[in-house]
Amino acid sequence: MLTDAERWPTLDAEGAARLLRWRTHPDAPAWTHATGDRLSAAAIDRVRHPLSTVDWLPAHLADARRTLHYGNMPADADLEDFPTISRADLMADIAAFVPLDADLERMLHGTSSGSTGAALLIPDDVEEVARGFHLLVALAAPAGASVTAEGERMAVANLVFQRQAFTYVSVISSFGQRAMARINLHSSSWRDLAARARFLAEADPQVLSGHPASLAEVLDGGLEAVLHPKAIFSGAMALAAPLRVRLEAAFDCPVVDVYGLHETRPIAARFDDGPFRVLDRRVHVEVLSPSSDASVPFGQMGEIVVTAGENALLPLVRYRTGDYGRLVRLDDGALGIADLEGRENTRFLAADGSLVPCVELTQQLQAHGAQGWSVEQDAAGAVRAVMAGGDETGARSALEALLGAPIELRRVRRLIDLGEGKPRRYRSAVPD
Amino acid sequence: MADAKALLAAWSTRSGGEAEAWARARPGPSVEAIATRISRVPQAFLDERVSLVALAGDILGAPLSAAAFEEDARVRRGAAVGLWLVASEGLVEPFAPAIAGAWTALAVDALALRLAPVVDPAQWLSDDERRVEAARTFLLWCGFVPLGEDRRTARSLLEACDSLARNRALAKAYEGHRHRADIARKLEEARRKEAAARYSSE
Repeated sequence: MLTDAERWPTLDAEGAARLLRWRTHPDAPAWTHATGDRLSAAAIDRVRHPLSTVDWLPAHLADARRTLHYGNMPADADLEDFPTISRADLMADIAAFVPLDADLERMLHGTSSGSTGAALLIPDDVEEVARGFHLLVALAAPAGASVTAEGERMAVANLVFQRQAFTYVSVISSFGQRAMARINLHSSSWRDLAARARFLAEADPQVLSGHPASLAEVLDGGLEAVLHPKAIFSGAMALAAPLRVRLEAAFDCPVVDVYGLHETRPIAARFDDGPFRVLDRRVHVEVLSPSSDASVPFGQMGEIVVTAGENALLPLVRYRTGDYGRLVRLDDGALGIADLEGRENTRFLAADGSLVPCVELTQQLQAHGAQGWSVEQDAAGAVRAVMAGGDETGARSALEALLGAPIELRRVRRLIDLGEGKPRRYRSAVPD
Repeated sequence: MADAKALLAAWSTRSGGEAEAWARARPGPSVEAIATRISRVPQAFLDERVSLVALAGDILGAPLSAAAFEEDARVRRGAAVGLWLVASEGLVEPFAPAIAGAWTALAVDALALRLAPVVDPAQWLSDDERRVEAARTFLLWCGFVPLGEDRRTARSLLEACDSLARNRALAKAYEGHRHRADIARKLEEARRKEAAARYSSE
């Protein structure tokens, strides 16, 4: 546990007052954690600005060569000379991808659930994480959303919607020490739903971020009347067009679907249902054949492979995302990704009629050691699941508790036993 | 005999980090005092028939990581020399300041797992320079900067006499082990300490 002075080294009286206000608000949810941004005064200045992208790639490859994994790559190797890597490489030896001279004092502990299931530990960089807020502000600005450190509205609420979640209130050191919070919309976090509405009305965050399930709950839970976001950011899984339409209609603000993985940080974003625009940051996108390191012809479908240089502790080169799409040229000449596939947002019908987001199944399957899985619900509501590795008995009882009904679960030994190709983890035939 | 790389890998996991060791080091005995005492190690300590586990139990009252490699003669002798240094405070006289403390078992493991795989302990007894290397290694991992030196000087003097640096293949393997252990330790520290605020879903 840290002290508040360690969480926010420059915390002033006004920032402390904001923390106290939201921590002790009579309608506040039961915050499960306390956490800050850890930024020193010098770091605050740095994170307000994006990293320069001028000639970043050669320097990035030099950084990569100072890792154990790439230590033998010749100094004159071009990007295309680097073999691709995948999540399995990071799972097997994450330290081999951290530069030998990295400043480990900046390291945070991150985890990624990823597309094949098993959680991956990721060394995150404290400044890169803090810079994430300013990326949201910068993305929203061209769409007409002016997010400012004036007044007492919360700067951002990162919304989740699950039975158990990591929640906290914080202040943003690099944004006038304005408040932000990670909020669980699930009813179990609140005294009652009226308290949830009152709290959110008073916080009235300028930016809402979340995944499709939590953003859907904003609408389904009747919160649109009390919230006035200037911009909404959806991530982690695909934002379906119907939900985007509802959010735009409810709030009349930009709704930004951000594509990125925890390992790579944000890669691309879109403001409509067209192609994603590759972000102007230290990210380079290729589309390769799933079975070789060869590029597919421009415009053809293939696996999205990303070279990512925003996290100084994890300079990735040609990382296979497991997602599929095709490169396109946007009207202004920028690079885009069209027909992105791979991220999922499936909900399962429980016996009591509620819809359970697949992230909750992910949590339980991972907690019981599954390395991968597929879960399918047929139109009649019957659930059949296959898990690779892990504790079958424990997983079965956890999933049955979650869905309130018996399920058919089969355990296989290896990921490959789930079937060839990219595993499709969730499918549900019941109406969402 | 165990593979030197495997012993160095075990040490990387055991050590807790070299930067951390230097950060906690406080003024201690002189290099000469430790080196001289090493040269006086009794044969009884080096006798291979004496159980390392029993010897460590008697002297430290705590287990050694090196005990898992007791069948390796270098490891056994290296640990025995370290145990002699600890025991000698009672059998000869205490060092000034005394070395007994929280880090003595780690210092014994350092001699057995970090230095012995690279330089056979027999050389610590026959070669003055290697004995100084052993003394400096022991002092660092026991939590001390040698008498009359500051951290920076002590660090550069230990690096200058580090036999591992002269064995390129072994040094490279050790660098990998050490880096992996450092990352694992820092990630675990970060996990235990606290997360940081995040602003969007990934």
